[in-house]
Amino acid sequence: MEVKLVEVKGVSKTFNGVVRALDEVSIAIRQNEIVGVVGENGAGKSTLMKILVGVFPPDKGEWYYKGRKIPFPKNPKDAAKRGISIVYQEKGVIPCLRVYQFLLLGHEDKYTKISRLHIDKMKKHAREILEELHVKCDIENFMYELPISTQKMVEIARAILSVRLEHEEDDITSIIILDEPTAPLTIEERRELFSHILDMKKNASFIFVSHIIPEVMEFTDRVYVLRDGNLVIHYDLSKKKITEDDLFRAIVGRESSEYIHKPEIERVVREETVLTVKNLTKNGCYYDISFDLHKGECIGIFGPAGSGKSEIVNTIDGFISFDEGVLIVKGQEVKSKELPHVRLSRGIGYFSGETGKELFLNWPITKNISIVNIEKILRKLIPVISFNAEKRMAEKIVQRLRIKAPNVNTDCYSLSGGSKQKVSVGKWLERSPDILLLEDPTIGIDVGARKDIYEITLEMKKSGISMILVSDDPKEYSILCDKIMFIKDGRIQKVLSPEQFKKVMAT
Amino acid sequence: MKILNRKMLILPLIIQTLKTHPVIIVLITLFMMFSILYPEKFLTPLNLSTILKQFVTLTLFALGPSIVVVTGSLDLSFVGIWMLGGILVWLLMPILGMFSILVIPLLGLVTGFLIGVIQVKAKVPSFILTLSLLVTYGGLTATLSGGYPRHVRGYEFITARLIQYIPTAFLWSIPIIIAAVFIIKCTRIGIYLYAIGSNEEGAHLAGINVDKYKILAFTISGLFTGIGSIVLFQHLGGAAPVELNLNNMVWPLVAMVLGGTPLMGGSGGPQRTVLGALTFAVVYRGLLLSLLHPQMIQLLVGLLLIVSIIVGTRGLKGVTIT
Repeated sequence: MEVKLVEVKGVSKTFNGVVRALDEVSIAIRQNEIVGVVGENGAGKSTLMKILVGVFPPDKGEWYYKGRKIPFPKNPKDAAKRGISIVYQEKGVIPCLRVYQFLLLGHEDKYTKISRLHIDKMKKHAREILEELHVKCDIENFMYELPISTQKMVEIARAILSVRLEHEEDDITSIIILDEPTAPLTIEERRELFSHILDMKKNASFIFVSHIIPEVMEFTDRVYVLRDGNLVIHYDLSKKKITEDDLFRAIVGRESSEYIHKPEIERVVREETVLTVKNLTKNGCYYDISFDLHKGECIGIFGPAGSGKSEIVNTIDGFISFDEGVLIVKGQEVKSKELPHVRLSRGIGYFSGETGKELFLNWPITKNISIVNIEKILRKLIPVISFNAEKRMAEKIVQRLRIKAPNVNTDCYSLSGGSKQKVSVGKWLERSPDILLLEDPTIGIDVGARKDIYEITLEMKKSGISMILVSDDPKEYSILCDKIMFIKDGRIQKVLSPEQFKKVMAT
Repeated sequence: MKILNRKMLILPLIIQTLKTHPVIIVLITLFMMFSILYPEKFLTPLNLSTILKQFVTLTLFALGPSIVVVTGSLDLSFVGIWMLGGILVWLLMPILGMFSILVIPLLGLVTGFLIGVIQVKAKVPSFILTLSLLVTYGGLTATLSGGYPRHVRGYEFITARLIQYIPTAFLWSIPIIIAAVFIIKCTRIGIYLYAIGSNEEGAHLAGINVDKYKILAFTISGLFTGIGSIVLFQHLGGAAPVELNLNNMVWPLVAMVLGGTPLMGGSGGPQRTVLGALTFAVVYRGLLLSLLHPQMIQLLVGLLLIVSIIVGTRGLKGVTIT
């Protein structure tokens, strides 16, 4: 049995004296292993991680380092001295720095001689660490020039490096916390990132915080499941075999099959065609795309990153122009260079799940919903906004989508990730466009909120809204779509029914 | 029972208002402070009338730009429109007669539209663009006027006294203020401008013609400056100055920021600018009464701008557009 490198026992944390974020949670990390921490939004994952890196202290709890009891870290630098460092979900990268500058950022004092930086020494050190971790990139490159997965790798390298530079003992093993590292990545990039992380396992231990069950199942050695601040269960994946459903049940406390299978019954596609795409080509992105979208139908475009799937959707919405081909919306041929707002007036809406992309964070829920529905709340005589109508509209949506908020005037930045997404979807529900384009509709939100979003989407579909889905989650296609197009290198390879798609994905 | 209910409603309303407009507290505090410090000088009708006069100047200059600032851009051309407009009135007087005053709003409209189009098409920072335009207009004014301030007669009726101690320009400014607040609060234009300032990509995704509304913002701003400048033309002496006065440019900005409009867009607006202008007028008057050296006052105004920018920006999270 390997030694427990770091173990925390009975950690509790209460916010404002009321909200119990963590209740007697204990976890341990051994040398050279990947530990998963999963749970819904608000389950306490982030709080636990923040306690581990010293952002705030716990109310009570004990910290053991190799079996020896020591106090909790006081700040992130203190945590780094004990070997713990964190890679945040997003915004960790500084794009305008060169790779070696970014790697050693904050540790320049170790390379300074009479206030002059030893650039050569920095570069040498940076090159060494990247070589050791098998990260392939030129240290002279700017961060923004790297693919996102490589950026993540450099971030991880930086975390390991910061532990080494801050350490007190020589043989310290880094424990790197990855806070939902895959959220901004596509499937391909994820695979690459994980193969790298597995490779790094001999250099460090990892705590992997995630929503995405298959990932956790595939890449971690042990999994801790948190729910409502409690440690529900702890699986040792190397000893006991569990299924995705087991893990799902543990996370949400309810059965997963109820929403995975039920909606398949209601697949009604009407004859009327709302969108026709004929031989659409954008040089360098996609070629010869043709399909018909019927009323109430949902077509999925599935393919690896860079296959042109998001470019197709963005073309239909007007963000990108096309070079050749014909695009017919509700019987009318449209021009290539038509802007998004014109397409919206033709009935094409676009919904992206990326946080903060679509939402106005410093706005209350009311405004976020009325932004695409202004016609509905203008007074009849003069075009002036009726605030009552606006409020009523928002209340209706909040109630219908079960958005958790004190009232409709709550600013959106204070909502949870799932609720934010629901507000974004809610405005389209109210607007009910003829065609809704969905890009990663449930990215980065927890399983419960996902279920709600799927329900809303299916409801909209039933009411006759046609949809085109682009996502990184294959399961989403089998839940929502009537037809799935496989696309590779910008060309449609084959068209499958959801049942066929499932079979293909299963093999 | 009913009265009790109403009372319970009024208190939260007041608290909410103070939360979103903390400048009101500053205003009341300063007003009381100066009243106590200079009991004989401050609370006189003449003094209050002077405060109102300055308030009018600041507000009419700052109203237009505070519509633009909502989108996250900055419009500094207002002084230029006022100056060039004045000299155009003087030039056109022999041809158009009394109607020549209407050239100012027209100039404002055209200028705003031009700035908008250039900003959107060339994608240049609005700050430097409008500043350059201001300098250009200043130069043009000096050239056209031949280097002397030109006095124009015939528009005295604009500021002719109607009510004792209340400047008529103040009465004129009321409908202009209401119109600006109305546009930003109650029309779709207002919502769209806030959307652009808050999250431009999101605005695109929500199907807003971002370019069109940006141009519209500058155009409306120019128009408001133009209309305000009709009043200001007479209010500030009935003559067009030929030299750029830094105070005319900076003070309206101070009023804007002091009112709680952070210059990064997405919140604030004319309603706050009005409060800011009033507060600034009170502060300035109080400082003048203190017999400090004018240069000292200038310094204090600068510091006030810095402090209010910090407070206004840091308070961004607690601020809503309601």
